Amino acid sequence: MRKSLMQYRALLVQSIHVEWANAERWLSPLLFAMTILILFAFAFGRVDEQFIPQLFIAATYLTAFFSLQIAFSRVLEPDMQDRVFDQMRSYPISPSAWFLSKFTLVLMLGVMILVPTLLLSHLFLNEGRNNLLSGSLFVIALIALLGLGSVGVLLSTMMLRSNAKQILYPLIYFPLTTPVLLAAVESSRAHLVEGASLENLLSSWLGLLVIFGIMYFTLSLLLFGELIKPD
Amino acid sequence: MSSDSRQDKRLLISGILAFAFLAVAWLWGLRFAPSEEHMGEVYRIIYVHVPSAFTAFSSAGLLLVLSLLTLLRRSESASLWAKASAEVGLIFTIITLATGSIWGRPTWGVWWTWDARLTTTLILSLLYAGYLILYSSLAPGPQRDRIVAALGVIIALDVPVIYKSVTWWRTLHQPPSILREGGSSMAPEMLATLMLCLSASLLVGAWMLWLRVTNLRLQQQIDAYSYQAQND
Repeated sequence: MRKSLMQYRALLVQSIHVEWANAERWLSPLLFAMTILILFAFAFGRVDEQFIPQLFIAATYLTAFFSLQIAFSRVLEPDMQDRVFDQMRSYPISPSAWFLSKFTLVLMLGVMILVPTLLLSHLFLNEGRNNLLSGSLFVIALIALLGLGSVGVLLSTMMLRSNAKQILYPLIYFPLTTPVLLAAVESSRAHLVEGASLENLLSSWLGLLVIFGIMYFTLSLLLFGELIKPD
Repeated sequence: MSSDSRQDKRLLISGILAFAFLAVAWLWGLRFAPSEEHMGEVYRIIYVHVPSAFTAFSSAGLLLVLSLLTLLRRSESASLWAKASAEVGLIFTIITLATGSIWGRPTWGVWWTWDARLTTTLILSLLYAGYLILYSSLAPGPQRDRIVAALGVIIALDVPVIYKSVTWWRTLHQPPSILREGGSSMAPEMLATLMLCLSASLLVGAWMLWLRVTNLRLQQQIDAYSYQAQND
């Protein structure tokens, strides 16, 4: 257990260093998100106040979904350079520690993209007329991130050796994450438009979101070990 | 007669019988089964649509079992069967979507709507297609078998979501009328016809699975010979 924890910490620190050394990797999804939100703000102009929450939810999740997909698809790319991935597979590294380090990295990248997206979306689309940002909304977004992140790491590992990963990643990521996105959008809509609390939402959309998060995380944790086993 | 040609003959005869059974079942459903009180003749497409959907879902169940066998037992044969079941699943999912669309036009007034069940079935077809593309894009070997098996497990988990989607989401699609609490809501004659079509569809699906596995095995042998010839 202690050994796995040390491995997890070492792998996470190494991954953060790699990401930090190449700012383009996390900056380009963020800039992409900003561009999309600015386009939305220009395209819609001044929106009737009653439609602002719906527009805010749609624009935010759409932007976050594509930006996160760009970030997640590249999470194992540095490991493929200089055959690091193949060498690491032959070392006695705990697959769980390896997966959790990548998952934590993905969560960190996700938060770095998701939080500014929420704030900018609020700034551009709402223009400060209503206060749409709340702790509950961030909680919903973070739970969605758990599901998206675990699938993101798993698919990124699956596609490492594929010669069609540019087509395959979105083709598989989109259908697998659609239920998560739908549940996140519906939870956010119920919270912002109907004023539903998190406790009430737990028995409906938020419950589904939590179930997907747990299911995808558990599956990814279990299957990751199989994907990195040497031949 | 060699064992290969005997197997070819068996495959051909069983294929003819399976398709003949399907033709009889469809003819019965589309021509002789009683009309539905509210929808009239349009409802008859369920004799193609529902069995196709059930066969597509069964393929996903089979994919789950075979993928788990590949992962747990390292079975190369299970991986071939899993690929074949994904191919059969994709064909039947496309038939389900097409027949659903044909039924939707006179009933809902549109060929397609972003209804929950339609969307989740489309998702299943995309996942099957993704599985097959991933399989083709990886180099043959135990690692490919493990990677696609992992995806197979995840794909199979989409099926309960599709099945429950009509009750979870607000949807145009009618709720389950066969497998539901309190028994089926269908008339016994219609249910019997539907069961006949379902058996025929499953039989054709099983035959297609057998055919594809035979072809995939042949393909494997050809690949092995060509690899050997290149290295000699």
